[in-house]
Amino acid sequence: MKRFALILFVLLGAVLLSACSASAQSVSWPGLSADANNAYLAKGQFVYAVRLSDGAKVWQYPASGGSQIFDANPVLTPDGQLLAASAGSDNGLYSIDPATGKDKWSAPFTAPDHWVAAPLVLQDTIYAANNNGILYALKLATGEKLWSLPLGHSLWGTPATDGKLIFVPSLDHFLYAVDPQAQKIAWKVDLGGAAAGSPVVSTDGKTVYVSSSAKKLFALDATTGSIQWTANTTNWVWNAPALSGDTLFASDISGNVYSIGTVNGKNAWPVVQPDGPITGSPLAIQNGVAVATESGFIYAFDAHGAPLWNISVGGNIYTSPIASGNLILVAPLNADFMLAGVSNDGKQILWKFTGK
Amino acid sequence: MGAIWDQFITLFTNVLLLIYNFLGHGENAFGVAIILFTILIRAITWPLNAQQLKGAKAMQDLQNDKEWQDIQKKYAKDREKLAQEQMRIYKDRGINPFASCLPTLIQFPIIIGLYQSIIRALAASPLGLLQLARSVYPFMNIAALVPLNSKFLWMDLGRPEGIPFPGGFTLSFLPYGFPTLAIIVALTTYLQTKLTMPPSTNPGDQTAAMNSMMSIYMPLFLGWLVLNYASGLAVYFVTSNVLGIVQYAMMGRVNWRNVLPGGGKPAPAKKK
Repeated sequence: MKRFALILFVLLGAVLLSACSASAQSVSWPGLSADANNAYLAKGQFVYAVRLSDGAKVWQYPASGGSQIFDANPVLTPDGQLLAASAGSDNGLYSIDPATGKDKWSAPFTAPDHWVAAPLVLQDTIYAANNNGILYALKLATGEKLWSLPLGHSLWGTPATDGKLIFVPSLDHFLYAVDPQAQKIAWKVDLGGAAAGSPVVSTDGKTVYVSSSAKKLFALDATTGSIQWTANTTNWVWNAPALSGDTLFASDISGNVYSIGTVNGKNAWPVVQPDGPITGSPLAIQNGVAVATESGFIYAFDAHGAPLWNISVGGNIYTSPIASGNLILVAPLNADFMLAGVSNDGKQILWKFTGK
Repeated sequence: MGAIWDQFITLFTNVLLLIYNFLGHGENAFGVAIILFTILIRAITWPLNAQQLKGAKAMQDLQNDKEWQDIQKKYAKDREKLAQEQMRIYKDRGINPFASCLPTLIQFPIIIGLYQSIIRALAASPLGLLQLARSVYPFMNIAALVPLNSKFLWMDLGRPEGIPFPGGFTLSFLPYGFPTLAIIVALTTYLQTKLTMPPSTNPGDQTAAMNSMMSIYMPLFLGWLVLNYASGLAVYFVTSNVLGIVQYAMMGRVNWRNVLPGGGKPAPAKKK
């Protein structure tokens, strides 16, 4: 009896603790980007190119799974590369030919830790923020390291730029502005909480908008970092707000959607809380905004916060939806498909990509 | 069931964070929080462990009892009758044969729960951080708590422990380096099992044989867990083992003879 209990104890312990381990699984939601012809989906061990016209697979990278885990948004560069950062034990940043799905660099750039953030490209340099708290500057053509700068704690948000400075959010509560010419920190601002998502820069390059777990959205002077205004939110605005004219659309992990004026930081909408937490950035659409929720829906609202349409896609959507042509693309987790192409009027799902 | 388990993990996570918050978020604070949490768990399960000790002692005494040994011989070929007689003796003497298993069974969900709570609290990934943000009770300030300082002594509590080999030397089966904590956990588990094993004078004592087997397999199993999982779990194991030895010592049940060479073996019959 006791012998049986001991063996059962050991086996159950091994199985349950193994189930707890996340070492070989995705630890984030899928990454997504698109050009005029294809969507690029980073999910699990692969990056997929998916044809927008019919949802068919064009290629997958690598051909067979290895130690890579791709979660960050793949980044299309002006010189025709697709950059994919791995959260796997390989710690690699890869350059892929978007036409063929083959490697473009002779070898990936590897860091001591894994990548959560997608890289930023400015002119002929890649700025890649690593989980180890270091910002790496790499040569765009080859991936060769130019310089690196330790910032702080884990860097999960994709950096943004005004063309002069690189804005890097950190879980250590700071937004860092890095001067790439001087290769040093130009300024940093305490956001009162962890900044896991990306900042966004105004079209005139004068203001940086960023959110933190302190349940605040900040407007900062891009040159000096001085706070222009802060907007309080009900919960954590995880990802970058969407800029549309003089409005910032933002959403929080309690599922609230905000329409905040870029000039005064005031929310123009009453309580708009469609259904379920929202982690992705809102998507500015022609006559309003669309958000994708954890409950697997896309909701669209007009400029006054009135509902326009909604559609059930399925799964749990954490990834920011993106638009390409007449499609809104969403990449849910926990669904029997990886990517869906939804008509931009919200009337129907045109195709689903299952990975095959 | 999943929702109840999640509430259990959420409770554990919040208790850990509450202690961490009380300690001021500094370096080593999360490791100390795990130690204090383990002391709390040990204090709560103290009566159960005491019950286990009494149960184990009663079972051990039974193995040396004449009536018990007689029925083993008498009904050696009639297992059904033997079982009936054993149950009668249990009943007559007020012994619950499962009393010594209960604390082990209770400790099992605590170990799994603690492991999941440590991983959830450290929130090393976006999905993990999102889950943590939604797990923290409203009176706790998530903005001040995140990111947690996962450093404790030489360890990162969210990762398996290992001290890097000198000169960049690596071994594929020890990817994190020399497994100091796995060895400490295995040693303290071995010590705890050995020290608390009652002496037996009966060479055919099944309980003693079982305990002897456990004293080998449990340290190996826990050492293997520590080798592969977050080192925060190892801090729990070491603390729990040390506290276990202390508890047994306070109850006067520690048997130091068992860790000495040749100890724990049935004592030879004394010559008259």
